[in-house]
Amino acid sequence: MGNCCSDVGGGMAAVGGTAASAATGNQNDAVDMFFKSRGIHGLFSQIELSFSASNLQNRDVFSKSDPMVVVYIKERDGAITEVFRTEVVLNSLNPTWITKYTITYHFEVVQTLLFHVFDVDTQFHNVDVKMLKLEEQQSLGEACCALSEIVIKPNRSLTFDLVRREESVTATRSQHQGKLTVHAEECISSKTTAEMVLRCSDLESKDLFSKSVCTADLKHSYFCYIFLGILVILWCICGLILQDPFLVISKLVESGISIPVCKTEVLKNDLNPTWKPVFLNIQQVGSKDSPLVIECFNFNSNGKHDLIGKVQKSLADLEKLHSGREGENLFLPTPVGHDFQNKILKGKLFVDKFSETVQHTFLDYLAAGFELNFMVAIDFTASNGNPRLPDSLHYIDPSGRLNAYQKAIYEVGEVLQFYDADKRFPAWGFGARPIDGPVSHCFNLNGSSNYCEVEGIRGIMMAYASALFNVSLAGPTLFGHVINKAALIASQSLANDAQKYFVLLIITDGVVTDLQETKDALVKASDLPLSILIVGVGGADFKEMEILDADKGERLESSTGRVASRDIVQFVPFRDVQSGEISIVQALLAELPTQFLTYMRSRDIKPST
Amino acid sequence: MESKSRTLEITILSGEDLRIDNKSVKKNAFVVVSIEPFNCKTTKMDGEGGSNPSWNDKLVMDMPMQTRFITLAVKCKASSGEKTVGFARIPVTDFIGGYSPETCLQFLSYRLRDPKGLKNGIINVSVRVKEPLHACSSQAAAAAAGLGIPIDGRNDFGVVTGIPIWSGYPSNSLFR
Repeated sequence: MGNCCSDVGGGMAAVGGTAASAATGNQNDAVDMFFKSRGIHGLFSQIELSFSASNLQNRDVFSKSDPMVVVYIKERDGAITEVFRTEVVLNSLNPTWITKYTITYHFEVVQTLLFHVFDVDTQFHNVDVKMLKLEEQQSLGEACCALSEIVIKPNRSLTFDLVRREESVTATRSQHQGKLTVHAEECISSKTTAEMVLRCSDLESKDLFSKSVCTADLKHSYFCYIFLGILVILWCICGLILQDPFLVISKLVESGISIPVCKTEVLKNDLNPTWKPVFLNIQQVGSKDSPLVIECFNFNSNGKHDLIGKVQKSLADLEKLHSGREGENLFLPTPVGHDFQNKILKGKLFVDKFSETVQHTFLDYLAAGFELNFMVAIDFTASNGNPRLPDSLHYIDPSGRLNAYQKAIYEVGEVLQFYDADKRFPAWGFGARPIDGPVSHCFNLNGSSNYCEVEGIRGIMMAYASALFNVSLAGPTLFGHVINKAALIASQSLANDAQKYFVLLIITDGVVTDLQETKDALVKASDLPLSILIVGVGGADFKEMEILDADKGERLESSTGRVASRDIVQFVPFRDVQSGEISIVQALLAELPTQFLTYMRSRDIKPST
Repeated sequence: MESKSRTLEITILSGEDLRIDNKSVKKNAFVVVSIEPFNCKTTKMDGEGGSNPSWNDKLVMDMPMQTRFITLAVKCKASSGEKTVGFARIPVTDFIGGYSPETCLQFLSYRLRDPKGLKNGIINVSVRVKEPLHACSSQAAAAAAGLGIPIDGRNDFGVVTGIPIWSGYPSNSLFR
């Protein structure tokens, strides 16, 4: 030990294209990093929307309509912004438009789209569609939906009846407006990853000991043999003959510059190195045919690595090398006079393994029929304050303004309910005393003693409001019971082989009273298809709760020595996001697709379409 | 008659942060899985992972009905012989009668404790029981436990895992 110089070991590590095995810290982070290093984007996907229509109204007198689609995004506050226009199709009442709209699908945000079909009456020949004035065109109808509605359909297509908003009262026109079909396709390039095992043979050191000297010496006497031997030993000691090779893979961009994409680990003292598998997402390099430069360097701890040789191949070429079991000679640009000549080296690059895998994304699972099921648990402890007083976190404002609890239920529920097939949500309260009873740490919000479900987000809101005046707030704040209840539901679904994933939303104002009990419940539930989102409202100090979210600390450990097999908790203090631009939803649900995918992939559960 | 033992498939996945004498393990760590003193199997050695070895070694073992624990011993082969890195005991109730159906693949992780009782890394495994529990055998399992009323309505047959207290144990860790 005890070298005071820079981290040579760190400099020798692989970067960018490798599967990160559990090197340091939290295995769950390493698992996520493992998949992320394979090019998986968990938060969002690029979707291409394509449009077609049928039976459009004919608005033109001497010919047919010339339709065009304009896409708008409807913001939460009702504002409408135009985002895209297709091209104009000439003379068609059943057009299929070619131009596609690429939109980033954010899982955690409700994206409401408005599609408006116009009949273009003005001159559009050789005019950019953007220049067309919409007020001069005639409307053929409009349709509206949320992006998630299209995405969850098995065939990813949604057909709408076009509706025309009539300002005038003359309703003698026929109601037949036609239909618009919107189809969503995930951009393929983000899904495919190529895994390669690269090997080099016969790497040579720099040619310090030229061949002519060698042969000349051999003709001399024994004395020279001994001299040679000593020299060789000396050079071995100096490490000049030894090679510590590593590869750097770069992509060539249009301007001719090469941009490094990844580098392998450094292998010590190896003239025939085989590196660990390299994972390259096709999107990282552009396409399978994009030219890549693979350079083999000799690692030098001072940072100045010597180039041993290089190869220029695309991924498709590398695949051919693999199937042909051939090697490609490395070449080294060597200066010859004023120019550079590519000297072909003896060393060769082999591709021992080449396989492509398509990583199924969150959307693939949804389209294949996997469902998210939403459950909610609300903190009814006395620390929230008397609900009849305006300063209480549970105060129901007669003017209709939502309190922190209502806001959280609404915002998170709004997104998740699209994926919940039956829209029936188990809802519980904890920390209160229902009428004539002891304190309960898991009571049904709807007041029933038999079933815990309510219908829709409205059902949750109504049950919440009525529960507020039917229970007395008590304490302490314990999560264990609701977590166990949710885990039981998830486990029953697992036993029935259902393709369901559960999300428990816990909204609380305070620090947990028995952290160890909560940890025990979480550890037991960590192997289930369950994620837990904890929203902290109010002004308490939530430092202790951040321990539960394994991102911020170590893996959860129960009192029996068992450790959580994955991180299923996401914790966000509501006040941190209330004022900022980040919505509570983005903060909470950002981890959910990753947690879902981790569960599915670790069990090799694939979406079966 | 119901079978006296069941088949357990246990895959030792990986270990994290293994140390010997406070120094990270360099290489050649392996795991010995034992159900009874003479019913044990050993994984391959991991040559490269160092203190975070990954074995991904699947072992198939016979598990008698009355088994309470599966013991995992992580050892390291050094020039001076075998050294024990740490132990973990998996209560059978963690994967039988728990949340997941036992024929389902379950991922479990445990804290390793060295011979002195101090924390020494984590071990990750996955288990699956080949045969589903039949109605008659559940009686056998219950009879084997026979310890009275489970506390707090828990279904784990009253089995607990004890953690030894040794001197030199940091006091605050007792409560974590």
